[in-house]
Amino acid sequence: MFEPDQKKVELVPQTRNWRERAIMLTLLGASSVAVLTTVGIVASLIFESIQFFRIVPFTDFVFGLHWSPQMAIREDQVGSSGAFGAIPLLVGTLLISAVALTISAPVGLMSAIYLGEYASPKMRSIIKPTLEVLAGIPTVVYGFFAVVVVAPLLRQGGESIGLSVSSESALAAGFVMGIMTIPFVSSISDDAISAVPASLKEAALGLGSTRSEAIKNVIVPAALPGIAGGILLAASRVIGETMIVVMAAGLTAKLTLNPLDAVTTVTVQIVTLLTGDQEFDSPKTLSAFALGLLLFTITLALNVTAIKIVKAYREQYD
Amino acid sequence: MFKKSLFFAVALVSMTGVAEARDQIKIVGSSTVYPFSTVVAEQFGKTTSFKTPVVESTGSGGGLKLFCAGIGVKHPDITNASRRIKKKEVERCEKNGITDIVEVKVGYDGIVVANSKKSEMFKLTRKDLFLALAKDIPAGEGKLQPNPHKTWKDVNSSLPAVKIEVLGPPPTSGTRDAFAELALEGGCKKFKWIKAMKKGDKALGIKKDKKAYKRLCHTVREDGAYIEAGENDNMIISKLEANPKALGIFGYSFLDQNADKVQGSTIGGNAPTFENIADGSYPVSRPLYFYVKKAHIGVIPGIEEYMQEFAAEKTSGPDGYLGDKGLISMGDVERARRKEIVMNLGNLKLN
Amino acid sequence: MTEMTFQMPDLPKGLAKRHKAEKRFRLMALASVLLGLIFLAVLFINVLTSGADAIRQSKVRLDINLQINDFGGSKGPDIQQLKNANYQGIIKRTIYKNFPEVKSRRDKRGLYRLVSSGAAYELREFVLDDPSKIGTSISIWLPASDDVDMIMKGKVSRTASSDVRRLSDQQMEWLEKLEAEGNLETKFNWTLFSSGDSREPELAGVAAAMVGSLYSIIVCLIISFPLGVMAALYLESFAPKNRFTSFIEVNINNLAAVPSIVFGLLGLAVFLNFFELPRSAPLVGGMVLSLMTMPTIIIAGRVAIQGVPPSIKEAALAEGASPVQAVFHHVLPLAMPGVLTGTIIGTARALGETAPLLMIGMVAFVVDVPKSILDPATALPVQVYLWSDMPEKGFAERTSAAILVLLAFVGLMNLTAVLLRKKFEIRW
Repeated sequence: MFEPDQKKVELVPQTRNWRERAIMLTLLGASSVAVLTTVGIVASLIFESIQFFRIVPFTDFVFGLHWSPQMAIREDQVGSSGAFGAIPLLVGTLLISAVALTISAPVGLMSAIYLGEYASPKMRSIIKPTLEVLAGIPTVVYGFFAVVVVAPLLRQGGESIGLSVSSESALAAGFVMGIMTIPFVSSISDDAISAVPASLKEAALGLGSTRSEAIKNVIVPAALPGIAGGILLAASRVIGETMIVVMAAGLTAKLTLNPLDAVTTVTVQIVTLLTGDQEFDSPKTLSAFALGLLLFTITLALNVTAIKIVKAYREQYD
Repeated sequence: MFKKSLFFAVALVSMTGVAEARDQIKIVGSSTVYPFSTVVAEQFGKTTSFKTPVVESTGSGGGLKLFCAGIGVKHPDITNASRRIKKKEVERCEKNGITDIVEVKVGYDGIVVANSKKSEMFKLTRKDLFLALAKDIPAGEGKLQPNPHKTWKDVNSSLPAVKIEVLGPPPTSGTRDAFAELALEGGCKKFKWIKAMKKGDKALGIKKDKKAYKRLCHTVREDGAYIEAGENDNMIISKLEANPKALGIFGYSFLDQNADKVQGSTIGGNAPTFENIADGSYPVSRPLYFYVKKAHIGVIPGIEEYMQEFAAEKTSGPDGYLGDKGLISMGDVERARRKEIVMNLGNLKLN
Repeated sequence: MTEMTFQMPDLPKGLAKRHKAEKRFRLMALASVLLGLIFLAVLFINVLTSGADAIRQSKVRLDINLQINDFGGSKGPDIQQLKNANYQGIIKRTIYKNFPEVKSRRDKRGLYRLVSSGAAYELREFVLDDPSKIGTSISIWLPASDDVDMIMKGKVSRTASSDVRRLSDQQMEWLEKLEAEGNLETKFNWTLFSSGDSREPELAGVAAAMVGSLYSIIVCLIISFPLGVMAALYLESFAPKNRFTSFIEVNINNLAAVPSIVFGLLGLAVFLNFFELPRSAPLVGGMVLSLMTMPTIIIAGRVAIQGVPPSIKEAALAEGASPVQAVFHHVLPLAMPGVLTGTIIGTARALGETAPLLMIGMVAFVVDVPKSILDPATALPVQVYLWSDMPEKGFAERTSAAILVLLAFVGLMNLTAVLLRKKFEIRW
């Protein structure tokens, strides 16, 4: 042992082994916290959801076309029908997500292409971090911006061409969310594109194709699985986004595919259900957890698929 | 470094196990009373040696749920409500050991139906509101039909031919309860045969069916004409500004603060002004309350003083500072009765 | 162009077309980048211009005579008398003196309403700070009411109807007189940074929310940093390749993408309902945020550890260090910059997170700056959400100001992360 620091290197191997084992266990414990968190999430969601499904049949929840949970909050209060069909919420969520992805998928991909293939290194070093600022802005700021700037603009714009745009349109919330996820798509696309072996691109260019032809016909198809994975991850992010829709989208569960209409989303309903009136064991409060479970399941499925695609794709060129 | 932070983490977690005493009043409840309650809390915190009470807006029902969950520092001391406590809620409180509750009436709040100043002011009646917003409306004597009205002109030919689009609170809010009860039911009652359902009428040959009566009068249409816009009243205002064709339903205080952007529709010929709401000629207004857990008085410092601050003339009297925030004060008799309750901590009695 | 194959085009006409297509494509790509940048610019300009107004606040100068009688006579007041003196009365007396023509009770009330209800609190603070001023005349700038402030900043037109202004014609006259005499000006708004929430826009500040955020973030770091680093070390350096390990890995990757509101539901069901921790407390907020941040730290940590060349660990092992020693003494210090960068980025995200905090009740009206992690608190993003809902017009600009403060902190943290990465970046 040439190390002069006696403290750092134990001379008695047995103590060292014992300590090492303790440290190892601690480390293992720390890693298990992640598992515990997942278990916690799943357990709490399922526990409350089971209580909910005792009152409202599972099929009514999953296949019901009508969402109006607010009504039966007190015995003496008569509102409307009081239904727990999650389909309108899902449709609303998907509508807003679709708007968001129609913006972020092409714009994000094209941004990645520009930064990776056209921009000078200096420009890239400035623009890339600037674009990434978009992902770092807290969502409550986007929500505020959607309400005070984007929604009125869309409304006026729609009016001037004779369209009636709801002030809580899916378009406003979706547009802002789309902008928010641009860097998300672009950075994963960037990874995917730069993982395509340079030889492929060089071969295409060498055969005389222009840059755009090489990108469109060689690079993008080769990177497609990675890009798709990125878009799926962006979709999962958008579906679970809360503050923007809480502030900018509506509360009425309307079964529509018109992005100019006001729709509501799963996350908006969770927030409304749990910050407004609460009743003991009322299906209304419990339904928030059922919605949470639904949200968790959907995003989980998206994430697992996306991660798998991205991984499988990476291995292809490794 | 890791050990140190780990130690801290453990210390933190164990710390929470120790029940701590609380020296700050905790208030939950209605989002309508919230703006008034917070002003009083702030005034109270700044002018006395007590800490400023913490106020959380949870909705009337949510507040009563938390309030009735038990006695002890974990549970709130006071809950605000934009409706009176229900018998069921009192029973739940009793089940959890909360037998003594003090009810303090704060004042009144008007509910207004307003639109952007860019458009013409609406002159409505409660019947118009019912016919425009109810899910089912009468189609002749004893018969119902799903609400067919598309524009205000369909409802009442003196109204403009504008698409019915009303932004209003969801049923989680006390405002919705009150709106249904006062405005919709008020209009619904104008149909004799419906009114007869409430108590039964032998002459008309109508059986008493209170449930059906309530369902008919309180149910709001869900085909998009009524848009549940959340309890965020300020957002409703900015949405009205953006959409001059829409009407919005919210508390009088918001109209008062945004008189430059929106105008309140008259209902039955009466404009929603401070005076009209105070003297009752504007028909859609409801009382606001807060409820105090007697068992906490003397344990959490300052509760009694907070109640006195709220009930003081300078606060909720006719010229009190809550008036600036849009609260409509009660008449002399009611205020005197309240003063007595606050002084003697009289128990809540539901009749 | 989509059916393009790799045939050599030999017609010059085709070549020109293809070059055109190339140009078009390039422009489209540039437009995409610009769209993002323009949006960013519009957002910042909007928040900046609207928030900048909140930096200043209209104040009224009053020459106040602090009579000894106001504080309980000549004996020298005790602290209780100082606290309970009628400061509102002192201010009223002073204003009425400046406008001797105002006689009726109603007009007097209208006159007093030009000054904020918080003026009395500020005078009280002033006297409590320096009781020796009692018995002298002082000149002090006190906040004007928010209605006056809106007029002074031009947010509300002076010629608007009195309904819109919320000030009567008479009040406008007084306002203009004060302004002409130089006794009404907009001054730097310290209150915005030094006080907690308030129902009066002119008295509202972000201090309580900032402290609430700080507490939550500290709790979040204390929990997530050690756990995250340990988990990263374990997975990267020690974990056997078995099913359990890959299960943990899948879990972590998924957790990183679980919507934040689901963590809020977890906090509500487990921390509040099951463990009965206090509502609205930064402790619970921090715990929920730490669960969200941990996966980010683990993932960043693993990347950083992967970046350390195996030769370093192997050299340590060859010198007789145990695997744990090799990792803790050699690999971890070298990976630390990367780990810290990931931690800061994760924490910056936690700082901007709102939705899970709504679920655990951190949306209360909090005036007093919280003193411990168990006191009720809000956080900066929640304050933004709350203020965006306030009816008073003065809150609109304060919402933007709160956004600016939030963005400043988030930006600062991200900048630190970038600099850290640059400074310690080692290319092996």
